[in-house]
Amino acid sequence: MRALAEDHSDLDHHSDLLVGPDQAPLLARPYYASGDPGPIVAALAQVPELLETAMPFLGAALGPSGIDWRTKEIVIVRTSALAGCRYCVQAHTVVALDAGLSLDEVRALRTDIAVADAFTDPRELALLDWVDVVAGSGPVTDDARAAVRRRWAGHEVVELTALVGATLLLNRFATALALPTGPDTTARLATEGLS
Amino acid sequence: MTASTVDGPIAGAVAEGTLPGRVWMYANYHCNIACVYCLTESGPRVAPRVLDAQAMLDVARQAAELGFTDLGVTGGEIFLRPEMPDLLAEISRHLPVIALTNATLFQRRLLDRIDVLAGLPVALQISLDRPDADANDAMRAPDNFAKVVAAIPELVARGISVRIATTVESIDDVELDRLCALHRGLGVPDEDHVIRPIVARGRAIDHGLGVGAVVTDLPAELTITADGAFWSPFGPTVHGGLLDTDLLITRTTAPLSVPAKALLRLVEGQPRGADSALNIR
Ligand code: SF4
Repeated sequence: MRALAEDHSDLDHHSDLLVGPDQAPLLARPYYASGDPGPIVAALAQVPELLETAMPFLGAALGPSGIDWRTKEIVIVRTSALAGCRYCVQAHTVVALDAGLSLDEVRALRTDIAVADAFTDPRELALLDWVDVVAGSGPVTDDARAAVRRRWAGHEVVELTALVGATLLLNRFATALALPTGPDTTARLATEGLS
Repeated sequence: MTASTVDGPIAGAVAEGTLPGRVWMYANYHCNIACVYCLTESGPRVAPRVLDAQAMLDVARQAAELGFTDLGVTGGEIFLRPEMPDLLAEISRHLPVIALTNATLFQRRLLDRIDVLAGLPVALQISLDRPDADANDAMRAPDNFAKVVAAIPELVARGISVRIATTVESIDDVELDRLCALHRGLGVPDEDHVIRPIVARGRAIDHGLGVGAVVTDLPAELTITADGAFWSPFGPTVHGGLLDTDLLITRTTAPLSVPAKALLRLVEGQPRGADSALNIR
């Protein structure tokens, strides 16, 4: 069911696709309670029932879990860089630094320098090989699966693979909707020389 | 189907009084006039945002199946849609209907077609704000008063149930007495006259009119539009040509159980005693 007008761009308050706090729908209001919820929430707030389903999933996939923070940020930054997502790379560059990754490690994840120049841990190298395969568009071979399984438990492979998938979802969402990088993130990236 | 034969969380909440029994539908947003306090900035040239006939029939059927007890149809001016008399008759087969109209389009042709509503559980709720044409028309449109007082007896004579809605910032006792004498004389008894405040949404904001209303001031009546489901018929308002989303519940309107259950969750999350004293109905 849609209105009859063919061009909807002038019919709602959200010409930039982001919902401001004064127009936050009822189910979205908790996300605005402590200030600017960020552009992912502000976009999903257009469809409140989608927001309240998506956010718990995204929180479980990208947020704290049984897998340590550093490992998760390795996956998120690498996946986002391979997908060419400016918003996610910038946002998670900052998060990755906060999670303890070095500047060189972040540069390697962002494909600015070679992975081998920054990472030496065999487990992390195996994970990065897996992320490159999963986030790529080619086939996922039995050899690739076997390689990651040698270093990571089955439940970890499942969770990290789901993390790649969830990140790709956000990558395409953020890229397609041209979500804006926040001023705090931009300033931090400049400070770190990672703009 | 009656509410007493329906099970489920919505029927239970309606029976307990946790949820209001009425489901509203915005049939359209365009109107032949442009009242100064219009919540939806309706007028002849606005986007019609039509809720199509099949969608309205589906809402009516599903509302009855879920255990709601009444329907409301509003706009815009709903009788700008030529099929409206027959559509109201159809949806009233599911639940009783109140249909809001400015009653300015009831010339002979529409009056003849509206005969299908005679004896059906459909009440037309007609706006009449003041007992004097000048004061009434200043807020609504030229000749509005004359058209309304001409239409009401015609409708009553046809056996169509008529209610009067008076929307005012304030009205003194003398003026109210004269207004009530007028509607009684037109064949509408006191129990079918509602008085409600102007709400500061839509065009009312630009004219500095109305009371500010937050969610708890507004009845939690599920309201379906072409743009989604809202909390109360005061929710899907338009300001500056843009649809407000602060009282949006879900974009999903079918199946109706999706917004109905989301509304119930929101209502159950309200603090006790949070309902309004503003008498916005
Ligand atoms: S208040 Fe009713 S009659 Fe007046 S412009 Fe709005 S929709 Fe039309």
